[in-house]
Amino acid sequence: MAVKKLSKEKIGEALKELSKFRLIAPARSDEVVIFKEIADPEEAYLDYGNSTVPPKKVVFPQTETLFRFMVGNPELEEKNVEEEGTTVIFGLRPCDARAMAIVEKLFSWDYDDPYFLKRRELTTLVGMACVEPPSVNCFCPSVGGGPFGKEGLDLLLTDMGDYYLVQSLTDKGKKLEETLASQLEDAAGGDEKKAEGMAAEAEGKIRRSIKTEGIPEKLPGLWENDLWKKVSAACLGCGICTFLCPTCHCFDIQDEVEELGDGRRCRMWDSCMFSEYSLHASGHNPRPTRRERTRNRISHKYSYYPSRFDVIACVGCGRCINLCPVNIDILDILEQVVDA
Amino acid sequence: MVDINKLREIAAEVISRDDVRELIGYRPGTYGFRARPAFVTGPEEVDRLIFTPACVNNLATYITLEEKLPVPRGQEPDTRKVAVMVKGCDSRALVQQMEEKAYGRDQVVVLGIPCTGVVDMARVEARFPGVLELGEIALEGGKFVLSFDGKVEEVPKDELLADKCARCRYPTPLVYDQLLDDEVARFADDDYSDIEALEKRSMEDKWGYWEEKFSRCIRCYSCRNVCPMCYCEDCVLDRINPTWMRRSVDISENTAFHIARAYHLAGRCIQCGECQRVCPAKIPLMELNRKFYKDVGELYDYEPGTNVEAAPLLATFSVEDREDFIL
Repeated sequence: MAVKKLSKEKIGEALKELSKFRLIAPARSDEVVIFKEIADPEEAYLDYGNSTVPPKKVVFPQTETLFRFMVGNPELEEKNVEEEGTTVIFGLRPCDARAMAIVEKLFSWDYDDPYFLKRRELTTLVGMACVEPPSVNCFCPSVGGGPFGKEGLDLLLTDMGDYYLVQSLTDKGKKLEETLASQLEDAAGGDEKKAEGMAAEAEGKIRRSIKTEGIPEKLPGLWENDLWKKVSAACLGCGICTFLCPTCHCFDIQDEVEELGDGRRCRMWDSCMFSEYSLHASGHNPRPTRRERTRNRISHKYSYYPSRFDVIACVGCGRCINLCPVNIDILDILEQVVDA
Repeated sequence: MVDINKLREIAAEVISRDDVRELIGYRPGTYGFRARPAFVTGPEEVDRLIFTPACVNNLATYITLEEKLPVPRGQEPDTRKVAVMVKGCDSRALVQQMEEKAYGRDQVVVLGIPCTGVVDMARVEARFPGVLELGEIALEGGKFVLSFDGKVEEVPKDELLADKCARCRYPTPLVYDQLLDDEVARFADDDYSDIEALEKRSMEDKWGYWEEKFSRCIRCYSCRNVCPMCYCEDCVLDRINPTWMRRSVDISENTAFHIARAYHLAGRCIQCGECQRVCPAKIPLMELNRKFYKDVGELYDYEPGTNVEAAPLLATFSVEDREDFIL
């Protein structure tokens, strides 16, 4: 099957076609770019760097109801993810798609998380290659990704000027191509080769990096090292770095009781940078200060996760660096780990 | 501009004192134009200290943010002072904290920096994107001078100045042990024109405005954590039993959160603007805080964080107090 292309003139038409599914795309809210459900193709904002909040929230919502309970009714009203229907995330960045594939290893490890996995199954990911790095703090090649990375994606679009090159990567991707049959055209023979050249060029524009070799093995030995106090001194203990991280996946489960005793059990994102995250019922907190919490954040991403799943739980999107209120910089920390 | 050598000299003197444990100042950041907080424990470390218009953080937050571990049996707690560098706005946080008796004046050494304004880093980075190597920002002759990647660019002050600085009433610190430069006279004020315009809009209109903003909130609590006035050891937001505020992120809980926070800062917010600066969802939180600040000034002739000897607004009562707005 020939590689396809989508003319930019037909992008509105294509999005309209896709809006028969639950269509999620980047959109603007004031000057902030967020992923949201799009009803009108005009809302989609594809000429963006990267979104503030990663699209992980589509498959792993910040708050979701697991079931509802009612007074006097022994039956629980269980959540049926299926009802959310077939979903298309259009125009996400390769790092954010790769993050979903990385997190899936955890959600399908000792227990198959029905909510996450069902949503993954229902969702088709249409990526947008990073011809230009979205941020000065991008470092995806250092952690196994790339600006044209395909891992986790079903389709990859590459901006070729007047049109997008459309490469389908999975069966789901092929199916979506069929849906868009009347908007897609055959691409020219040399386009794929050209995209390869663009990918190499894009990778060359990424200026931050870290040599990760040896870090996962080294981290456990640095448990009591002075570096943790130094790198966490400025930390405010907010949730920006974890909530905006495409691979952070911690959650809490709470019951929320409404009027008259009806209510719901829901799960919501939690952050290991919050003090009450590790607070025991006894009042003891095994991670009593930001030093231990920072050590955990870095160690989880760069040691515990790779030792269990053979992959670093960081995709190099740079969000935690860009948005930290006090310029705590994960690459700066990792360099200190290397030097320690 | 503060003389950097003088700043380091004074810092070295202060941190060498037996009764000072730590000095909190600024040092260059890790990339671009960023600066970051520095925690100095000995005179050999003062060479990394800087002060430039990139030093946006309000360091007063760190005085109350410290998490103290229980002191092991047989050991005495470290009661030495903390020294902190503050701009005019930041100093008001110290004043308000002390007004509320969070700690005593003798527990801190305050190095005051008369301030001519800091940048809005988001504006700087939007104007000069992709700067990785450390650049420098200085304020010279009414212009920001940015040096980076071998270039020097001049930008009129008002194009990169932080909004809070364009409304600043107290550029010179209101509390200090040593002032690092000559006093800076008031060069701006808040005319509240945008707040008044917002007040005049219909209820429906106002709700539409805030609904969009609050719906973006991800409840990372960076606004709370960066706030020098949010220093409760046990925050109502973190309480689980009872749950005063649900952890669910939706428009209802987000709105409740922001209203609660604004009320808790009424008569206390000192207008440093840190909450709005750090918000990843770019919620204009200072519009709420300025509305309260304006009301408190008009109704009670009170300005938070201006007088260490004053009693906090909500801890005082006078029979003349306005109460006609109470339902």
